[in-house]
Amino acid sequence: MNSHEWPDAKLQEVAQRLGARAAQRLDVERTAQAVVARLRTEPRAAVRGLGGMRPWVRIAAALVTVVAAGVIVRSIRLDHTTTTALTTAAGAELNDLSADQLRQLLQAVGGGQPSVEQETVSSQDVGLEDLSARELQALLQSMEG
Amino acid sequence: MTPAEPVAVPTDAALIAAWQGGDEQAAAELVRRHARALAQFLGGAGAPEAEVDDLVQETLIRAFRGLAQFRGQCRFRTWLLVIGGNALKDAHRRSSRARVVPLGENLRATDGDPHEWAVAGEAEARLAAGVARLPRMQREVFLLRAQQGLEYEEIAAALGTTPGAARVHYHHAVTRLKEDAP
Repeated sequence: MNSHEWPDAKLQEVAQRLGARAAQRLDVERTAQAVVARLRTEPRAAVRGLGGMRPWVRIAAALVTVVAAGVIVRSIRLDHTTTTALTTAAGAELNDLSADQLRQLLQAVGGGQPSVEQETVSSQDVGLEDLSARELQALLQSMEG
Repeated sequence: MTPAEPVAVPTDAALIAAWQGGDEQAAAELVRRHARALAQFLGGAGAPEAEVDDLVQETLIRAFRGLAQFRGQCRFRTWLLVIGGNALKDAHRRSSRARVVPLGENLRATDGDPHEWAVAGEAEARLAAGVARLPRMQREVFLLRAQQGLEYEEIAAALGTTPGAARVHYHHAVTRLKEDAP
């Protein structure tokens, strides 16, 4: 056994002395007064989280959150509705377009890079009713992005 | 003449309730009760002596501000010691300078046997250095158990662990301290 090894009782005895000097030096009364003074002067709200807010502040924060969420949801739905409406309107008027106009439209919605499906719309096509199911599908897909 | 009735000493819980009701003196009384034990814990955990006063105050302020989180899961003092451990950790993080463990102050004591004082001071310094090298959890469990004399159940409740885990941490701490002995 190492001659310096701690027997348990000795270890505990020395451990109980650790920090004793710091404890003896502490001016307890001065500490008590200092703590009370700091508690009095430092605003509690500064260290509080949301749970420490006054009720009206919490209600206001909740309202702002709800309104913001509503605005975001509404804008998302509006985008979707607008796209659908435009697609429907465009669909209704597509029958009036010529083959060249349809080709131009396809190129426009396809960013000028017609896909394989778009290329299946031949120059002989004269209207929407002349497109095959696959061609119509390709057209719709290109319009829906 | 009737014998004076013993004055009922308010419990910590009563003082806490009084403080929460706006009684500043209740807070002062809680400080008087626990500040010295807190200072000893901080000193044992490696707080430089010059900083113990500030750390005690910082810990007490944090505790009073965070009383809503104290659910009586352990004694108020134990809860305070754990907050002290957090305050000390934060202080160490802020401080970039090396921490110096004061050694050999007992050698200057003028009463008692100088040789005994020297031996006692050496043992204390040796243990302090070993405790400072322990991982934080082991250090806190060791001090709460060996220095403050707390039961494992109490330590576990304060540190948010199980009594079995607290026992293991203590065992590891003691093993390391014994291994560290030069």
